[in-house]
Amino acid sequence: MNRFDIIKLRNIFFLALIIISICFGCRKKGCTDPNADNYDPDAIKEYNSTCVYTDFNKSEMLNNICDNYIVPSYSNFNNQTSSLKDQISIFSQSPTINNFENIRNQWVQTLLSWQEVSFIDFGPAEYIILKNQVNLYPVDTALIKNNINTGNYNLEFASNYDAKGLQALDFLLFQPNMSNQQHVDYFNNSTNAMSYLINISNDLNINSQYIVDQWHSYKTTFKNNSETNAQGSSVSNLINGLCSYYETYIRKGKIGLPLGIFNGFSQQEMPELVECYYYGESLPFAKRAMESMREYINGVSYISKTNSLGFDDYMDFVGAAQNETTLSSVITNQIELILNELNQLNDPLSNEIANNKPAVNNCYSKMQQLVPYTKVDMTSALGVLITYQDNDGD
Amino acid sequence: MTAINRWLYKISFTSKPIAPLVVFRMLFGIMMFFSTLRFINKGWVKDLYITPKYFFTYYGFDWITPFNENGMYLLFFILLVSSILITIGLFYKFSTSLFFLAFTYVELIDKTNYLNHYYFISLVAFVLIFLPANKMFSLDIYFGLTKKEKHVPAWNINIIKFQLGLVYFFAGIAKLNYYWLFEAQPLTNWLKHQTDLPIFGSIMQYHETAFIFSWCGALFDLCIPFVLLNKKFRIYGYLFVIFFHGITSAMFPIGVFPFVMIVSTLIFFSDNFHLKILQLLRKIFPANSIKKEVYFRNQHFISKKTITIMLVLFVSIQLLLPFRYTLYDGNLFWTEQGFRFSWRVMLIEKVGYAQFFIHDPKSGKKKLINNNLFLTRQQEKMMATQPDMILQFAHHLRDIYTDTIITERNGEKIHLKKPKVTAEVYVSLFNKGSTLFIDPNINLAEIKRGHHQKEWILGYEK
Repeated sequence: MNRFDIIKLRNIFFLALIIISICFGCRKKGCTDPNADNYDPDAIKEYNSTCVYTDFNKSEMLNNICDNYIVPSYSNFNNQTSSLKDQISIFSQSPTINNFENIRNQWVQTLLSWQEVSFIDFGPAEYIILKNQVNLYPVDTALIKNNINTGNYNLEFASNYDAKGLQALDFLLFQPNMSNQQHVDYFNNSTNAMSYLINISNDLNINSQYIVDQWHSYKTTFKNNSETNAQGSSVSNLINGLCSYYETYIRKGKIGLPLGIFNGFSQQEMPELVECYYYGESLPFAKRAMESMREYINGVSYISKTNSLGFDDYMDFVGAAQNETTLSSVITNQIELILNELNQLNDPLSNEIANNKPAVNNCYSKMQQLVPYTKVDMTSALGVLITYQDNDGD
Repeated sequence: MTAINRWLYKISFTSKPIAPLVVFRMLFGIMMFFSTLRFINKGWVKDLYITPKYFFTYYGFDWITPFNENGMYLLFFILLVSSILITIGLFYKFSTSLFFLAFTYVELIDKTNYLNHYYFISLVAFVLIFLPANKMFSLDIYFGLTKKEKHVPAWNINIIKFQLGLVYFFAGIAKLNYYWLFEAQPLTNWLKHQTDLPIFGSIMQYHETAFIFSWCGALFDLCIPFVLLNKKFRIYGYLFVIFFHGITSAMFPIGVFPFVMIVSTLIFFSDNFHLKILQLLRKIFPANSIKKEVYFRNQHFISKKTITIMLVLFVSIQLLLPFRYTLYDGNLFWTEQGFRFSWRVMLIEKVGYAQFFIHDPKSGKKKLINNNLFLTRQQEKMMATQPDMILQFAHHLRDIYTDTIITERNGEKIHLKKPKVTAEVYVSLFNKGSTLFIDPNINLAEIKRGHHQKEWILGYEK
């Protein structure tokens, strides 16, 4: 080989090296989401912020969320309150331990079904402030006792919101230091207490029935209000309702408040503020709320659990990302992390807060991280304007 | 040089028919009347000036505070009355001055409500005070309060054209940035929410649409003042104006301003056009110019030199102010230093989330603040992305908590002498992911307000 050949060979070698490295460069990063237009099956490294999606249909998403999540989940909640009413009615006619336990079991089911609809916090639910009528806590036990004693009260008054609903039942069905038999005796010996149970369950059922009825007509308004995402549009209602409910009633209400995060300078824990303080199990409800939120965001059907168009697809469509990851997966992952943390905890949560505070703190900080993801990134990505007046425009 | 001088002299001091100015006066008055009425009807007087407990004042204008409920409604009533007076041309100097003062006062109450177009209206109202727009077709003439003039120096009309052209041109310059031109931001995101619009909806999903809109928008803004100045292309330019503002008002909640711009740009049309409008109006209101006994005070003529100096001053401030951002370090869209009063419209998509903490330096303990105890949702939202407002709110908290004794729920008493205030703020610009906005450890209570560089804003790396 003469010198010329060596140079030629070296050039070929370098050229090959460059081509190979370019190819590796291409293959390394790419869109790994099969739903995207530019899905790259050869992509090794996930680079999903480059994914491009077209053909997203906002109306279809609203239809899906409405028909497959909101309507069936409300309908289930209504069925549960109706069953609760029935169980209480049965118990009032034959106050046995068995029937009492049936009420308790049905109460758990009803509260779980509430978690699945709690964050649909707009429209009819917002109009009657459903969340305050169904699950306000801490309850005012003195007021409950007083109402029962006097027998003179109107549960429709806002002043009685913290003496009714599922958390008032938490107190009445799980009174401290009372056996099941003592509970049965208590209700059996006091007509006022028994009718208070009945009235609470009636009130719950009237409200849930109201929501179901309202959605029959509100459905159309909801689906048609899709042209913009401005204040008052359906997308804006869904997102604002979800974000503020999560921030205030899940992050703060279920964990932050009892943990003491909002308790002034002392930050002293307030374990008596947990949900279901008397029942002594709070975590299943927190978990159910988080799981349901995930499904609601991802457009999962309430009944069949199939995943259709949801906010995750909408976020992907507008190319929303956090660093190099799609925002939809960032949010889903964060909810997973929160669920993991919740799984690390043990009921009763009030004890856990007192005895295992670092673990609850961990859980809270994961929940806190979700706030900017939803309140900043999601609202921004979906162009949800919180505008009460004109924007700047040209 | 002399050619430029001659041109400047021509556009300033040649005699021009007064008609365009008179028509503009009437249109301006009518528009201000209806937009004020709309503002009141929407309940914004209450929402923006009565409900809030705290107001984000402008630096140097902290003395401007809202009146009580009656006072605020009276102020808006003054706006209504003065805009009618402007329309009919009665007590013109007084009514334009009154409108300018009342309007500007309202706008200076709270930064939360800053809109470039409110600034535009303040400027136009200010200029109108000095223009003789009541010298024809006005009740001032009818009642003999002023002398009729058929002609005015050209600057009287050109200054309004300048003001209008400036809004477009600087809005165009502001669009010449990397994000607008090469990422089609923020339109690329905004348009994707418009897929359910009638007719145009289906094209909104494509990336290319956003680029076309961005580039055309920038081109439109940069060119339209010159197109409107050109006799031959004016009518096409005006059609573009209608089309452009029509589209933006269909897509975004931007209120009356597209309409204000469509109507205002009529001033670019020829003298004949405006004379015809006046002739038409004369047929409807034939009572004009009946009074024969004309009484008027001596005109005080201002020398051309004084006028020139004032014009140069006004125009140069207008031309320089939008560029003051260059005096600051950092990304303008991130820090917003020198952002307002610069015709930057619809340029950024920015959302934030701010949590404030009051620290007790003695014990090292901190307390989380519930912003909604002090701010409305709109104020909180605007504050969370704008550093000067974050600082103002931190100072407000400092003032509230300075030298207070706080009784904790557990009975503990905390005496706060000089509280430290910090904020944890997350901001997302152009949907690139929320990141920490300002130094979360900095004691905002000790940072001074002002126009100096805000060193405590964290860098923007995206």
